[in-house]
Parts: sequence; C-alpha cells; structure tokens
Amino acid sequence: MILDAHGHVGTWPDFLIPHPAAEHLLAAMDRIGVAAMGISHLLAVGPDAVRGNAAAMEIAARFSGRFGVWQVYNPHHRTQLPSVGTPGVWGVKLHPDVHQCRLDDPSYEPVWRCGLPVLAHGQTDSPWSDPAQFAAVAARHPHVPLIMGHTGLWPYGFGRAARLVADHPSVFLETCGSKMTGRWIARLAALAGAERVLFGSDACFLDLRTGYGRVALAPLTDADRALIQGGNLARLLGLPLPDLRLPDLPGPPEKGHPA
Amino acid sequence: MPFDDLPEDPTGEMDRLGIDRAFVTHTLSLYSDAAAGNEALLALDDPRLVPVPVVVPGETGEELPGVRMVRLCPERHRFDLTGPATLRSLSALGLPAAVDLEETSPAQLRHLAERLPAQRLLVLNPGYRRLRALAELMDEAPNVWAEIGTVNTQGGVEWLSARYGAGRLVFGTGAPVADDCGPRFLLDHLDLPAEDVERIAAGSLEAMV
Repeated sequence: MILDAHGHVGTWPDFLIPHPAAEHLLAAMDRIGVAAMGISHLLAVGPDAVRGNAAAMEIAARFSGRFGVWQVYNPHHRTQLPSVGTPGVWGVKLHPDVHQCRLDDPSYEPVWRCGLPVLAHGQTDSPWSDPAQFAAVAARHPHVPLIMGHTGLWPYGFGRAARLVADHPSVFLETCGSKMTGRWIARLAALAGAERVLFGSDACFLDLRTGYGRVALAPLTDADRALIQGGNLARLLGLPLPDLRLPDLPGPPEKGHPA
Repeated sequence: MPFDDLPEDPTGEMDRLGIDRAFVTHTLSLYSDAAAGNEALLALDDPRLVPVPVVVPGETGEELPGVRMVRLCPERHRFDLTGPATLRSLSALGLPAAVDLEETSPAQLRHLAERLPAQRLLVLNPGYRRLRALAELMDEAPNVWAEIGTVNTQGGVEWLSARYGAGRLVFGTGAPVADDCGPRFLLDHLDLPAEDVERIAAGSLEAMV
C-alpha cells in the first residue's frame, strides 16, 4: 500500500500548475497505485486557511478514503483547529515560511495541544523552519507526531536534519522536494532508520510520479521501501496496516498528551 | 563538488534503471578546465556514453570529429551567449547545443534563436517554475527542444507535449548531480500515447542530433 504523506490541491501564484484539481491527482494516484494522499489546499497555505480547509474537507468527503486532510493552521489568524477523530482529517499542516512565524514560536502552542499529528514545512537555514526548530519542538512536545516536510529541502542539509532529530523519535523525515534524490532517500533510511522516513510527493505542486519514482527506484530493500512508502504512515495515523512484515517497532507516539 | 555520493562510473546506475545510453559532459569541463574535461570525455570511448563537450567560444576548436552535440555554459564560463564569438563558434560547428536554463534566460535563448534560426538548441534543466516562459520561448523558436528531468509540476510534461508535441521533448536526468529515479519513473508513467513516450525516451534526441 502506498500512502502519500504530503500533497496539495489548488493553484499557487509563483508558477503554473497545469493540473491543480483533485480529479487529476486521483487519476495519477490510480495510475501508479497510491491508495491515499494527505492534502492541504494551497489556498489554505496561502491567504485563506478557513476557505481552503473547507475546500480540502469537501474533496476528502467526495473521494472518501482517497484523501486525508492536513488542516492548515495560520498562527496570525489563529485558525480553528479540528478535533481528534474528525472524519477525513489526518492532522494539522504548518508552513512557517509562508506564514513567517518560526516553528518554535509560542503562537503554535494550540497546535501541539490539539492531539493530532503535525506536518510542517522544513527548510535548512530558514529562519522559520530550520530542522533545529523541529528538534526544539520535539523536545518540548515529545508526544506529538511531527513530520518534517522535505527533510530540510536542500541536499546539503539532509544529513544534518537526520542527525538533529535522531534522539527525537516523534519526528519523521518526509521525502518530497525538487532536490531530493533516490540515493538520498536510501541514505536517510540508513542514517535515521527506515521507520523514520515517510514518502511524500508535494503533488500537485510537484508531480506525483516523479516524487514516488524516487522511492520506487531508490536503492532500498523491499522491507524498507514498504515502510517508507506506506507502512510508517499507516502506523502513525492508525490506518489499517498494509500487508507486510514490519520489524518490531516501538508504537506510535501517544497522541493527545499536552506537554 | 559539494557531494559525497557521486559514482565514478554512471553505467551501473544506468543498468539498474534501464537507461541504454546517456549524453554526458565531463565533470572537469564544468568544474575545472573545459579543454581538459573534453579531452578526458572523448578518451572514454564508451558507446553508452555519448560525449557532449563543452564549448568556450573563441577557445574551443571548431573541429570536433564524431561529436553530435555540444554544451554551452555562458554563466559558468562568463561569456555572452548572444555575442559575436558565440555566434561565430556555433555557426562554424554546425552542431546542436545544450544550455542549462539556469545559465541563461528565455530571452537570451530567444535572441540566440533569432540570430541563428537554423541552430538547434536543447534547454537543459528548465525546472517547473518557468513553464510559462519556456512555452513562450518554444512558441517563438521552433528549433528549441526541452529536457524534461526537472519539469516536475503535476502534469507539466503532458502540458508541454500537448502544445509542442513529444518530438520537442527529451528525456534527461542531470544525474548523478540531480535525481535519476524520479524522471525515469515518470517516463514510464506518462499519460501519453506509447509512440510519444518513445519519442521522449529517445526518438526526439536522436532526431535532433
């Protein structure tokens, strides 16, 4: 089973996305066998979290089981957070760079206390989302599953990102980004353990097939590939596990514990 | 080079990923001395590695026997892509030329295509954020082809194919510096007729050179 941890729908002002709609994504998912994708609407990442989140929820309801929603939290607008157990919700999405609010800023405290997994943009050397901030947040809130989107984005920082969160098992390294390579995905699995690496594509911002291809063709063992492309995320979200033999892993970080 | 995982020999990865031949430039030509890199490249004599020497206008000789395509690096080697030395050099060589879009601009390439309308140009590494500008260039310059390894927004390759035809799109990766796994997988899963995929995989480049 392939699960995509990091997806989007909608348009983005910087450039042309030829196919921004959920229908096209679904066709691409079917074409390569992606069972489900976690999405945030780019309108929500950008100027209007409320409307964008509502649009993403409508898509999740319309294509039940194929899309989960990462509801965007804008710290400036103090967007209403979803409740644990809301159908169609996978967790909360943060974009510290777009919102220009550091990941370790106190404005995000409600997010860490809402009991849901969090997917956050991570970018090496960014004042807003450097991987060191993921380590700092994880130290304060060790029970919150925290996915580092892009593993820091720039290849020169991938290794450092893995080292910074090595002692924070609640942090997962997610693979999308235009500079990621199949070789680096294998290296991340070796550095951090395959159980800490999650496949994400960033589609429709990026192309789903290119993103998944890096996992599909990375020099990984079949067992590690199965974990990265779906097993880890299924476990994290409490979804039915795919049919594979998982190593004896510690259970997911306990959800819902305010730290 | 700021990488610690580059293979000495790319053919192992080519075997693993099912890539028969690759048009390649030597590391030395990009990161050190163009002439030394070209010499080392031509000495490889490997039928799977098609040499693409780097031309520095005014310095590189105008006879390159057996060469099917050259590469220009106007930013790295600090010359004017549309200046008289480049125009003279390309006219004398009469070969297709590959240029990384990060080394130039769509406007410069359009200017070059206007000055040398018969010159075949392959735009390497066009990326996904400049599709509109790339399209404007391809609209105006019929002898421009695009390499698709970094055309990485959802459906971007099909979008270009619908406008310009698969015959103007060329499979490439930028490996080993850039990723080869993603573009290779994309090639196998394009939403295009099989004959168009075959053009992108090999036919377009063969026709161009």
